[in-house]
Amino acid sequence: MTKTRRKPDLLQGTLDLLILRTLQWGPQHGHGIGVALRASSDEVLSIDHGSLYPALHRLERQGWVQADWKVTENKQRAKYYRLTAAGRRQLAVERTRWSRLSAAVTRVLGPAQ
Amino acid sequence: MLRARIRALFRLVFFPARADRELDDELRFHVTEEARTYVERGKSEADAMAAARRALGNVARVKEETRGVWVSTRLEQFMQDLRFGVRILTKSPAVSVTAIVLIALVIGGNTTVFSIAHGILRKPTPGIRADDLTTVSWVTADGGPQTANSYRAYLYFLEHSATLRPLAATDFQRLTLTQDNGSFAVRATLVSPNYFETLRAHLVKGRALNEDDARRDSSGVVVIGYHLWQNTFHGAEDVIGKSVRLNGQPAIVVGVAEPHFRGAWLAELADVWVPLAPEPTALQSSHPSDAVVMIGRRTPGTSLAEAQAELTALWTQLQRADPAMSQKLKVRLVAYSATAGGDSAVAAYGDRMLAIFSIVTLLTIAIVCANVANLLIARAVVRQRELALRQSLGASRFRVVRGLLAEGLVLSAVAWCAACLFAWWISRVVIRFISTPSREPLSLPDLTPDWTVVGYALALALLCTFAVTLGPALYTRRQQLLPFLKLGEQGVVPGRSKVSRALVVLQLAFSVLLLTSAGLAYRSASYTDGFNLGFDTGKLLLATVNTAGSAHDAAGDDLLLETLRARLQRLPGVEGISYVRGIRPSSWVTFPVRTERSPEPVLAAQNIVGAGYFDAARVAFSAGHDFDALNTAGRRTVIITKDLADALWPNEMAVGKIVSAGDPAHPLRAEVVGVVGNAYFGGRGAATHPRYIFFSNHEQPRPPAETTFLVRHGASEEAVARAVAKALREADPRVAIASLRSFDDQLAGEIAPLWMLTTLLMFFAGGSVLIAAIGQYAVVAFEGRRRTREFGLRIALGATPEQLIAAVLGEGFRWTAAGLALGFALSIAVASLLTRALFGVTPTDPLTYVTVFALLSGASLAACYLPARRAARTDPVIALRTE
Repeated sequence: MTKTRRKPDLLQGTLDLLILRTLQWGPQHGHGIGVALRASSDEVLSIDHGSLYPALHRLERQGWVQADWKVTENKQRAKYYRLTAAGRRQLAVERTRWSRLSAAVTRVLGPAQ
Repeated sequence: MLRARIRALFRLVFFPARADRELDDELRFHVTEEARTYVERGKSEADAMAAARRALGNVARVKEETRGVWVSTRLEQFMQDLRFGVRILTKSPAVSVTAIVLIALVIGGNTTVFSIAHGILRKPTPGIRADDLTTVSWVTADGGPQTANSYRAYLYFLEHSATLRPLAATDFQRLTLTQDNGSFAVRATLVSPNYFETLRAHLVKGRALNEDDARRDSSGVVVIGYHLWQNTFHGAEDVIGKSVRLNGQPAIVVGVAEPHFRGAWLAELADVWVPLAPEPTALQSSHPSDAVVMIGRRTPGTSLAEAQAELTALWTQLQRADPAMSQKLKVRLVAYSATAGGDSAVAAYGDRMLAIFSIVTLLTIAIVCANVANLLIARAVVRQRELALRQSLGASRFRVVRGLLAEGLVLSAVAWCAACLFAWWISRVVIRFISTPSREPLSLPDLTPDWTVVGYALALALLCTFAVTLGPALYTRRQQLLPFLKLGEQGVVPGRSKVSRALVVLQLAFSVLLLTSAGLAYRSASYTDGFNLGFDTGKLLLATVNTAGSAHDAAGDDLLLETLRARLQRLPGVEGISYVRGIRPSSWVTFPVRTERSPEPVLAAQNIVGAGYFDAARVAFSAGHDFDALNTAGRRTVIITKDLADALWPNEMAVGKIVSAGDPAHPLRAEVVGVVGNAYFGGRGAATHPRYIFFSNHEQPRPPAETTFLVRHGASEEAVARAVAKALREADPRVAIASLRSFDDQLAGEIAPLWMLTTLLMFFAGGSVLIAAIGQYAVVAFEGRRRTREFGLRIALGATPEQLIAAVLGEGFRWTAAGLALGFALSIAVASLLTRALFGVTPTDPLTYVTVFALLSGASLAACYLPARRAARTDPVIALRTE
């Protein structure tokens, strides 16, 4: 059993938000999510792929995403994650929290000098 | 969300390998997919794969972190522990199966005893709502229990008690029920009018008894049992209002009880219920004010202690107000059970038997736990290296102990399931076992294990878990890590477990104790069984009749008995016939007998017999003659056995002398007219001397009641029994036959409980010997394995196989000797307690002890021999190469 978890590279909870948001476009496998995140952030956010899978499994356990094995266009078996109804609600919650947080951080930082 | 968790847990518990495999697949897919993107960007395939792996990071760590997500809750950790426990157990299946079988057997045996005790002592009889029912019992001055007290006490309680409402009074009696198609002996319960209401027993037809029924002037009424309605009245719809006779008195059937209801007590087994009248009636031979058993229902919210306090106060008031009340009795309330009350053998001896078995089962539990603990310690020793490795990698000691606990829990859980099945099965066997030998009607308790029993088994299983885990856990806690890490895969740190050996010695000692107890019980039972009564019991039929339905007074009864005797005498195949008062030949009254010269009494069993009794029993007269049939009343005569004659008048002729019998204040003086050979007329019991004194029924007739005819015959038992029954019915249809059985059956029925006890004891003792032998085998085998190298070395240095076998056996037998010595010491200490229970053998019976010694030594030698042989076959090359 591992007691020492690696510190996430992103702010706590942010990765969950990003994954949920990515899945809003439709079911996707782990690698696809990673690629999509990188692309949609204009390569700014380079997600450590190693931290992607614990996060996905955690979201699955919480019932926010659901996973099914499907065959890709390249005829390979892959585990596709899709958003559940609970996940959609959670996304809304996380989104609000993030807006508040970023707004707060922006306020603290003040206008750019 | 909860559903997702449950699904995940389910998957983790039942398909752990699949979850791992899927994670592998998922990560592999990730890597190939990532590599594909690199290839598209122009990298070579091999480079792309390497780069993709690098991008993912440490795969093992990713997997570990992901798995960490799976098991986040305590429950899941526990399940993981359990899974681990299962894995460990399936890794060494022989040890596990042995442990499971041992625990299952001991929990099963224990649970069976508990379920029997529970069934007999706690469950109500069928048809009764037991909650809040309370039995009013009494304690005599010397602390003994008494079930009944006077009717006036009942009336006083009925009037004044606020806590026991309603309160019913009952009394028991055998009656003769006469109907159109003949007479039957029935078991009657005389009850107060509120009886059915108190027990909440229902009627299927008619009404319960009421206040009017209890008045003396109203005509007799009776509520009949369902089986009586079905069998005797053939389930007639118009049974209510039908007129019958009970002991010759008219009575009208007013109700039919529900199918399984036979009264509140197991021993009661009532066929009919009649009103308990406050005054003596023709139906009540004993004065009703003498003895009634009271049972009441506590008003809602009243505790047993509150009711007890109230009744104690009421009883004290009554004792003060009424000096006729017994001043020495104390009232004691007990929660109702089917055996608390009545005068059944179960009520009398049940507690003692159960106490014996509680001790026995506790001993077996101790033995088995010691054994399984030993097995697990042995394995813990083998696993020392593994455990040390786990600890050095950072597992806390608590975590390791938790693993062991989970292992024990898995063991016990499997054993528990097996034990419940075992107990359920055995309780059905026991029922059949009890119900066969006895001819007496017997109401069987409900022994099927219920939830209480299953729960009891569960508690035992948990206890076993802790007991068997404790040893290995302590062992682990103490251990140093370093020596084990330094050893190779097969290495074991030298040094012997003192705990294991102590446990083996203890097991053997307990086995000796159990075996000697079983052996003594067996010897006692077979002694009693083969006991020579002094007369021929074969071809002797016992026919118990009740004459109360026909004769009305003592003289009439004597006349009737003589008529019946003459009638039976003429039957073909009958060689001798007489009768004796009472139901059974063995429940005779013992009372003091004196000579005219000496005030020193000799105790003798007395009974009243008809003419020709000794002829029928085939006991010869050594002096004098039988009772004179023409003897006019006034001159009292007795016949005594030779042993009694010798005790009263050593070296003198007894015939013609006068005995003074009974209470010295009002002695019964009678002349000895005959001396018969020594015989145990009352059956075997605890009698040490065949001392009997007989009075003539003709000289001292008694009111009509039950009498047993002794029919000596030369034909087949069945034919004679049929002929006797037919002749009795023809002679007087109002005479009810209470029972008809051979003398040998009667004796077998009386000894049955002793055999049952013996069989159960032997069962437990045999099991414990087996368990002890297995335990010793395990320990010796394990030691042998640890010393493989030593054996190899010895063989290499020239030791013969015989020498090695002798060495191992000798060492093993040293513990056996210690165990036997301890066990015999224990047995001798316990034996003094057995003295009272055993008949015919001294508690230090040499044969028993020699047998036990031989048996256990043999078992122990066998247990040591197998490992010894293996040691002797050690291949020195292989053994030494493990270095």
